[in-house]
Amino acid sequence: MTDTKLADDGLSLNRIGLYAVLLGLVVFYLLPLEAGIVTSFKSIRAYGQTAPFLPAVDGFTLAQWSSAVDQLSGSLFNSVLMAVPATVFSALFGSMAAYGLTNIDWRGQVGIYVLFVAGIFVPYQAVLVPLKRFWSQWVPLHIWLEPVWYLTGLGTDYAGLLALTITHIAYGIPICTLLFRSYYKSVSDEMVEAARLDGASIRRIYRRIILPLSIPMFAVTLIYQFTQIWNDLLFALIIVGPGDASVITQSLIGIGQSESVTNFPLQMAAAFVTALPTLLVYIFFGEQFAKGVTA
Amino acid sequence: MAELELDGLTKVFVEDDGNEIVAVDDIDVTVADGEFLVLVGPSGCGKSTTLRMIAGLESITAGELRLGGRRINERKPAERNTAMVFQSYALYPHMTVKQNMSFGLEESTDMPAAEIAETVIEAAEMMGIGDLLDRKPGELSGGQQQRVALGRAIVRDPEVFLMDEPLSNLDAKLRSKMRTELQRLQDDLGVTTIYVTHDQTEAMTMGDRIAVLDDGMLQQVGTPLECYHEPANRFVADFIGEPSMNFFEVEVQGDRLLADDFAYPLSNETLSTVGDRTELTLGIRPEDIELRTEATGPHDFETVVDVVEPTGDENNLYLTFDPDASEPDTFIATTGGMNRIEAGQPLVAHVPEDAIHLFDPDTGRAVKNRSLDDAETLGRAV
Amino acid sequence: MDSVRSWLRRRIDSVRSEQRLRTDGGTASDAVQSETGTGLRRYLDSDAVESAPFWLPAFLLVGLFVYGAIVWNVVISLTDYEGLGDPEYGSFDLENYRLMLQETGSYSFTNAFVNTIVLLVAFTLVCLVFGLVVAILVDRDIRFENTFRTIYLLPMSLSFVVTAKMWLWMYSSNGGFVNRALGVVGIGPVNFIRNPDPNVQLAAIVFALVWQFSGYAMVVYLAGLRAIPDEHFEAARVDGASLVKMYWRVVIPQLRTATVSASVVLMVFGLKAFDFLRALYGNDTPAVGTDILPTYMVRVAFGDASRIAYGSAVAVVLFALAFSIVLPYLYSEYRRGAL
Repeated sequence: MTDTKLADDGLSLNRIGLYAVLLGLVVFYLLPLEAGIVTSFKSIRAYGQTAPFLPAVDGFTLAQWSSAVDQLSGSLFNSVLMAVPATVFSALFGSMAAYGLTNIDWRGQVGIYVLFVAGIFVPYQAVLVPLKRFWSQWVPLHIWLEPVWYLTGLGTDYAGLLALTITHIAYGIPICTLLFRSYYKSVSDEMVEAARLDGASIRRIYRRIILPLSIPMFAVTLIYQFTQIWNDLLFALIIVGPGDASVITQSLIGIGQSESVTNFPLQMAAAFVTALPTLLVYIFFGEQFAKGVTA
Repeated sequence: MAELELDGLTKVFVEDDGNEIVAVDDIDVTVADGEFLVLVGPSGCGKSTTLRMIAGLESITAGELRLGGRRINERKPAERNTAMVFQSYALYPHMTVKQNMSFGLEESTDMPAAEIAETVIEAAEMMGIGDLLDRKPGELSGGQQQRVALGRAIVRDPEVFLMDEPLSNLDAKLRSKMRTELQRLQDDLGVTTIYVTHDQTEAMTMGDRIAVLDDGMLQQVGTPLECYHEPANRFVADFIGEPSMNFFEVEVQGDRLLADDFAYPLSNETLSTVGDRTELTLGIRPEDIELRTEATGPHDFETVVDVVEPTGDENNLYLTFDPDASEPDTFIATTGGMNRIEAGQPLVAHVPEDAIHLFDPDTGRAVKNRSLDDAETLGRAV
Repeated sequence: MDSVRSWLRRRIDSVRSEQRLRTDGGTASDAVQSETGTGLRRYLDSDAVESAPFWLPAFLLVGLFVYGAIVWNVVISLTDYEGLGDPEYGSFDLENYRLMLQETGSYSFTNAFVNTIVLLVAFTLVCLVFGLVVAILVDRDIRFENTFRTIYLLPMSLSFVVTAKMWLWMYSSNGGFVNRALGVVGIGPVNFIRNPDPNVQLAAIVFALVWQFSGYAMVVYLAGLRAIPDEHFEAARVDGASLVKMYWRVVIPQLRTATVSASVVLMVFGLKAFDFLRALYGNDTPAVGTDILPTYMVRVAFGDASRIAYGSAVAVVLFALAFSIVLPYLYSEYRRGAL
């Protein structure tokens, strides 16, 4: 492969040019992040006077970060409270649905599956009005679960967070089903049949064979799905709205934005606080994330 | 008694566009208790589907399946008292050998864990995989995986073993070793076994009886030697035996069979079995052709060697009546490997009358099979 | 073999007797079963029914929240609901759809519709071309391939809200990187996101989105390139094709599937650009050149005007737009058996 794809090897001019372009691309993709990071450590006075991509020699400060963490800590907690269960449940539902639609062979399953897959592509706008009415008029969790909000001391705003969680579970199921199904299709039919002959019921086969084999795919799905749910803004704006229960993407919008001036250092610090969980996930599990997006 | 009866077993698949495909067509076989039956046929002949119907992995469209006299059509796979060994072994990759072998007992019986462990260890010792119990399938060689798959079936202590081409993923050496081992194992256990293969050598060497399938239909059930010496039809004659039987389309003229390149005189005895047929297919096994240097009798034919294929112990000779043609029609004869024979050399082929087979060219059915004084004893002796 | 025999005998003694009990005990129920083993029993035993506990809960959730909501949205779009009380489900008409076409002016439906199309096409095309070029470079057997790939895909893992904030700073005319760089060559400062020219506004958005998602196109193309057998490259070289010709005539035609699926997914991401615009502009009204159907829909339905039924109608158009792309794609995937 090496020999055939390369016109030459070693450090010829072509090769040097290739690496120069690749490094140039690294600069292109990382520059906005780099500029953001260095700016987030500058004082308001310093940022206007230094190049946006160079650290300030004097005027280095952690004040923006501590201010950002201060202002975002509440919604950071809310985001975790919402995103973690939403991710886990959508992955679990997706895995079970994919199993029921793949490893157990019955007529008509492709039709059902197509409905799942099409769900991936629905623009959220097409359901916003009904969703809003559903959670405010039909299933008013703030009234139904009033004792819960009262006893936990969270306040009724958190009904919106629960509604958001359930909504994200439902909207995460299609992509999770797709990811798991593509994996389950590669599972040997003979193995599933062997388990049936061994006397395992459909439930037991899932529990004892399929689920343990799915662990790598759960990693992929959980990582991808966590990123998607954490990053979403639109559903949160409509379902949760402003208040105590707002998630971190909602809070980030308003930070450092006053009537006349924009506090870019604070905005950058806040942006990185918001991005930190997904960045960490990406840095440690980039391989799985790449698998998730290309499936 | 674990006698397994297939009574008119039929499988029809309905495709999405409504087309019906008959995969297995009205099969009747009775497998005696402890018998080793080989289901053999070319790919797509319905042998695997038959096995899967017995296992309960495919529903039965028509006919009845009885185990020990009791209908089991509707029983779930796990309730049929059968165990299956798959071509791919189908081991559970995330479980150790011990867990693989315990799985069936855990799922289908309420045997206490200690007893399961004991049974598994004993079966593993017996299969010679006692020291592999804590390994996972991915760490085992093909032959070892094969043993685990067999061990997993044995542990279940089934009334019937079902094996779907279990040796086809092994290399040639290991395959013949496992063939012997499997036979001995089946002999020791005495469990009724149905073994599916497309390999006629496996069928011949392993089975108590073999059932030849083609196009979903049962062609013949018999001992390997019956199928070899007394094929019910041209398909069986062609399928069983390696290299395959030679066939010539002939016309009956008086007391002779007239082919394109030769005329073959028949004795009165043979003529009487031919009756008033005018067209026949003449069959002769390559190993029944005797090679001579001089034509002396009416059943001797002068030919020329076209190609020689040495296999070591034998030579396969492709003989032709027509050496000048660019792609001559050939037929095969085998001769001992020590004979030095070269392409282009003339040879006389003696086709003994007691070794020829005659088939009806339309139905393929056997009109006359080779006469062997001891054919019957041969058939029973296996 | 003796040990085998004795082992077996023991096992047969212990297990068979147990088994006999079991099977004998089962005789009665067997008989009953074969007599009543009619349609219903078969049906309840069938795999479709047994598998239902696995897919049905998920299916109900999706059915309710996705498909139920879509249908409900269509129904609301036929009313004239404006958020007070309940929608009147008595009188349906297409008034909202008529209103859409009649709207004129800078923040009209037509403006948003055209912007949406331009954004989707430009964003998708640029991403594909850029992603393909990068994929070919990365595929040239380079060192640290994984690192490069990870860096190029990194922006995609970030929230639109985060990247919007970063580009707000990049584009800022008050010390942002882009204007500083342009200043070096004597241009600017340019106000990109609120430029008087709507085309500049949209181009700035497309550029930022390409930055975020071209890595995705690269990854998809890279997988496509890896799926092409090495022999094809070798054969082309033996035939004496130049490098450019080899890619143009041999490689790129084989990337059709990758192109189609990447396009569909990129368009879906493009339609999610609402989050980006909302964060970039800080409220529900982006610059006129970047007002796309997703932002338009949210503004009319949930903004001060609260024209909910009208917003639903816009959402129906948006949905139809998305599915006019997705359905042919899904159908072709189904045809080639990829579902």
